[in-house]
Amino acid sequence: MPQFFLNKRLIILLVSIIVLVALIGFSLRERNKLSWPEQFVKDTTGWAQSLVSKPTNYIAGFFENLQDLQNTYNENKELKSRLDNLVSLEAQVQALKKDNEDLRAVLGEEKTLRDFEPLPATVIGRNPDRWHEMIIIDKGSLNGIKKNMAVVTANGLIGKIKNVNKFSSTVQLLSATDPKNRISAIVQGKTKVYGLVEGYDKEKKLLMVKAIPAGAEIEKGQTVITSGLGGIFPEGLLVGKVVEVKPDQYGLNLTALVEPGADFYDIKNVMVTKKIMREADVTDLTDGKEEGS
Amino acid sequence: MKKFLLPLLFLFLFLVESLFVQYLPEDAFGHNRILVPHFLFAAILFLTIFVGKKQGIIYAAIFGLLFDIVYVEIIGIYLFIYPFISYVISKIMQILQTNMIIAFLASVFGMALLEVGVYEMNHLIHVTNLDFMSFVNLRLYPTLILNAAFIVIAGYPLKRLFEKHAEALRVE
Repeated sequence: MPQFFLNKRLIILLVSIIVLVALIGFSLRERNKLSWPEQFVKDTTGWAQSLVSKPTNYIAGFFENLQDLQNTYNENKELKSRLDNLVSLEAQVQALKKDNEDLRAVLGEEKTLRDFEPLPATVIGRNPDRWHEMIIIDKGSLNGIKKNMAVVTANGLIGKIKNVNKFSSTVQLLSATDPKNRISAIVQGKTKVYGLVEGYDKEKKLLMVKAIPAGAEIEKGQTVITSGLGGIFPEGLLVGKVVEVKPDQYGLNLTALVEPGADFYDIKNVMVTKKIMREADVTDLTDGKEEGS
Repeated sequence: MKKFLLPLLFLFLFLVESLFVQYLPEDAFGHNRILVPHFLFAAILFLTIFVGKKQGIIYAAIFGLLFDIVYVEIIGIYLFIYPFISYVISKIMQILQTNMIIAFLASVFGMALLEVGVYEMNHLIHVTNLDFMSFVNLRLYPTLILNAAFIVIAGYPLKRLFEKHAEALRVE
């Protein structure tokens, strides 16, 4: 028995397992901010990453341009045919915008959930062990990025800001498995149907929109956008298109499988959306006196 | 200058892994395959095999911690598993003789241990809900093949470099 405890290797192993569990517990708990050594390391490597990734980006862009050249003729043809419609559409949009502004002025509500300020950022890295779907971008708290802001590409929503450092931040993609990550969304049909974007089917590569009330009329091909109701994301960011609708495991709600508009791979440039409308404070939601418990 | 060569090499591999994943097209090798580069870890295992246990474990711990902080944001997983597997491999290499083919097989074995270990840990903390069989088909085989290919290509230069390094250490 004493020999058992004298075994140095065994003790090292046991101690390191205890440290491991403690460290994992420390990093898994709900954290508002990373500790400063982590931020420092992340910023330093972020600098090295952008040093390497920017030239690579440039070279990859060059080859992509070469490929694009091959399709130029066909694309040009198609774009020209669309251009005819564009002029009338633009005039319509202008008129509608003007109308909308006037009506809002009458109501006295100037800002909506829809308003946001886009902040362009470049992707400088991606998590190589592909369990945690995360990318690293080259803008941080000095550029005004805050936790939980929505991140979009030209084709739609891709995720939210998970952690912010001074010069870089990490984005958690929608394809990550995280039960805490739910986004309120609207399926746009004849009527608005609300649901929650929750989870990702890795094998089919589809997003799952859950908690849609049974009996809601949803068809294939309808678009899903964010609702802005969570108080974090702006309204009207494209999530994707409905592919399939099925009842959930208890038969009380519907689950829609949605093909994401944005590609979760091959992301180079993203936009972080700064919401303009004031976020609800905690004091708005709770009565100041009833805190605690 | 020579002193900084190894850390720089490992740092470079550390960054290349992220670039590799970023620029790899979604279905480059068939649909539904998840390829995970472990170039950094392959180099660490070669260091353990050709230079020594102590060096290997120190590098494994440092870069495991760096990997955790920068890419995973859960500290502990790679910090623990990189040195642990380096240690296991060094124990195995005490029995076997050190040559290229044995080193290749040992590294692929270490890679498989790493993947399974990380999968089990992630399963435990609910980062993934993949079942074991689909994990093997979706991730393990493609990942092992990718990294085996990397070792075949980069193994010989790495071996040469590390043997020179070990020689320099012995002279000191």
